[in-house]
Amino acid sequence: MDFGPYLLQLFSGLSRAMVLFLLSAGLSLIFGVMNILNFAHATLWLIAGYTSYSIFTYLGEQLGPSPWLLLPAIVGATTLMMAVGYAIERFLIRRMYDRELPEQLLLTFALVLIGGDVIKLIWGTENRRISLGIEPVEMLDTLMNPYHFIIIGTGIAVGVGLWLFLHRTRFGKIVRAAVYSRSMVSALGIPIPTIYAAVFSLGVGLAALAGGVFLPLLPMALGVDHDIIVQCFAVVVIGGFGSMLGTFVAALIVGVVYAFGILFWPDGALAMIFMIVVAVLIWRPWGLFGTEMRF
Amino acid sequence: MGLYRRYGISAPAAALLLVSFILVPLAPGQFWTHVSTEILILGLFAMSFNLLYGYMGQISFGHAAFFGVGAYATAMLFTALKAPDGSIGMLAFFASLAVGPPVAALAALVVGVFCVRLTGIYFAMLTLAFGELLYYIVFSWYSFTKGDDGIQGLLPPALLQDPVNFYYLTLAIVVAALAVMWRITESPFGYVLRTLRDNQRRAAFLGINVRLHMLLAFVIAGFFAGLAGALWGPFSRSVSPGLLGWAESGIAVFMTLIGGAGAFIGPIVGSVIYTLLQAVVKMYTVYWPLTIGLVILLIVLFAPGGVLGILERRLRPAAPARAERAIAVEETRP
Repeated sequence: MDFGPYLLQLFSGLSRAMVLFLLSAGLSLIFGVMNILNFAHATLWLIAGYTSYSIFTYLGEQLGPSPWLLLPAIVGATTLMMAVGYAIERFLIRRMYDRELPEQLLLTFALVLIGGDVIKLIWGTENRRISLGIEPVEMLDTLMNPYHFIIIGTGIAVGVGLWLFLHRTRFGKIVRAAVYSRSMVSALGIPIPTIYAAVFSLGVGLAALAGGVFLPLLPMALGVDHDIIVQCFAVVVIGGFGSMLGTFVAALIVGVVYAFGILFWPDGALAMIFMIVVAVLIWRPWGLFGTEMRF
Repeated sequence: MGLYRRYGISAPAAALLLVSFILVPLAPGQFWTHVSTEILILGLFAMSFNLLYGYMGQISFGHAAFFGVGAYATAMLFTALKAPDGSIGMLAFFASLAVGPPVAALAALVVGVFCVRLTGIYFAMLTLAFGELLYYIVFSWYSFTKGDDGIQGLLPPALLQDPVNFYYLTLAIVVAALAVMWRITESPFGYVLRTLRDNQRRAAFLGINVRLHMLLAFVIAGFFAGLAGALWGPFSRSVSPGLLGWAESGIAVFMTLIGGAGAFIGPIVGSVIYTLLQAVVKMYTVYWPLTIGLVILLIVLFAPGGVLGILERRLRPAAPARAERAIAVEETRP
């Protein structure tokens, strides 16, 4: 039996899973801490991808093309988007904390529409992609893009880093405490608004990182954010809101199911993912790894 | 003013709207008649959404699924009944219109059984997930639904191909539907829904079967969304899977919020503003999403309760505005 194509699908699924994980981790963190479901998360991810593209191309023109230029591009885009995330929290989302859920959803929904057109205004309607010029390597008679390993490595490294940050640092512990009880954290004299702004900025930063890292594999195109955000919701729902481990496992499930779904039932891959979501929401609405606390 | 005192801003707004809607075809050219037909159909869709949101207090992000299912049911029967040359008889046309709403209600029953077990964000997520599931099923089941191609050639009978005639048919159906919805929202059942919105736990203490009432509301909302969908096919002459997607659900949410979820007629007012704005803005620029995005942003930040909410507060500053009461959904989770 020829395992080549399956291995290829597995690795492309794992790469996809890592991107979904980076996005969903931020989404889940933001929801866990401030109860805001950010519809615009994938739009910010897409803007970060376009920004990385622009920095990468600009540096390439100035210094001569090199795959290493992706590093400063990602760092630049991530920094910029963290600032944008901070501004969005500070000037828009902060006004919404004591509002009803639907209004909060609508605010971020409006940001999706605005963000999409901002991309159109700045970068036009053409798809943007970059080529790193990395030679594919041969594995089990199949040509494989070694960049998959970089993405998977990055995803795991960020996942571990995030876990260490949340469990081993003072700030991380405050964030986790805020997930349990905002009022208690506030009562202990910790400035909640600062925590909110930092968490939102961090979440957007994770998304921006994902945008840059994924750039060599997937062309940035208008409207991709609409597909990605519902898949991120799928991941967060399957894993359970506020659970990092759950988000990681759910991202693996969604990424791999999608990759193999495409192989066997090309148009129905996403239908399969939403069947899983529906099943999880019916059976365990708080997700595979979530707790009933928030339910 | 007696009517106003009893029914708030909805009574004068509805009267004003009805007169303007009747007079629209007097405007020169067919453009405004066409836009007004769209206003009515999407307005009915938004009204059906507001049964769940404004009255029952749950936000559905998959409501377009029932709009789309209704549209597809009508389109499929339409295609089956029409003659080889594409024409369709009056009876067959109305038969295909009639099949949309019950099929959509049936879909809402199946989906609703699961959704009404949840509330708040989980209700929103499950409706979104079901909506996307139905979207992808329609999208990928090519042999049954024609997939991405959609279904074309839904040309109504000769008499109704005239935009003015089709417009008055739509107006009659929508007004009748709204009358039924008004009756429902003012019935004891309608008040049970308001109770569920304000405090589900207390409603349960009172002996109200919470899930059953939510399910009923969900099916009714699905039925009227399906009716709007049934009209949409012959209006636009085609249906496509996009009608079921979450962006389409978003339109109902936008309209409701712009007009005001707290007033019965709010979603229609929202549809008038949204659809007119879209028609005008699209004449000048391709940046329609940016425009509507900014409008929504401003409304959410500065005018919660929508246009009717603002009006009502102006007219009746002393009394608590209906709009504000309607969006004050009690947090039922600990």
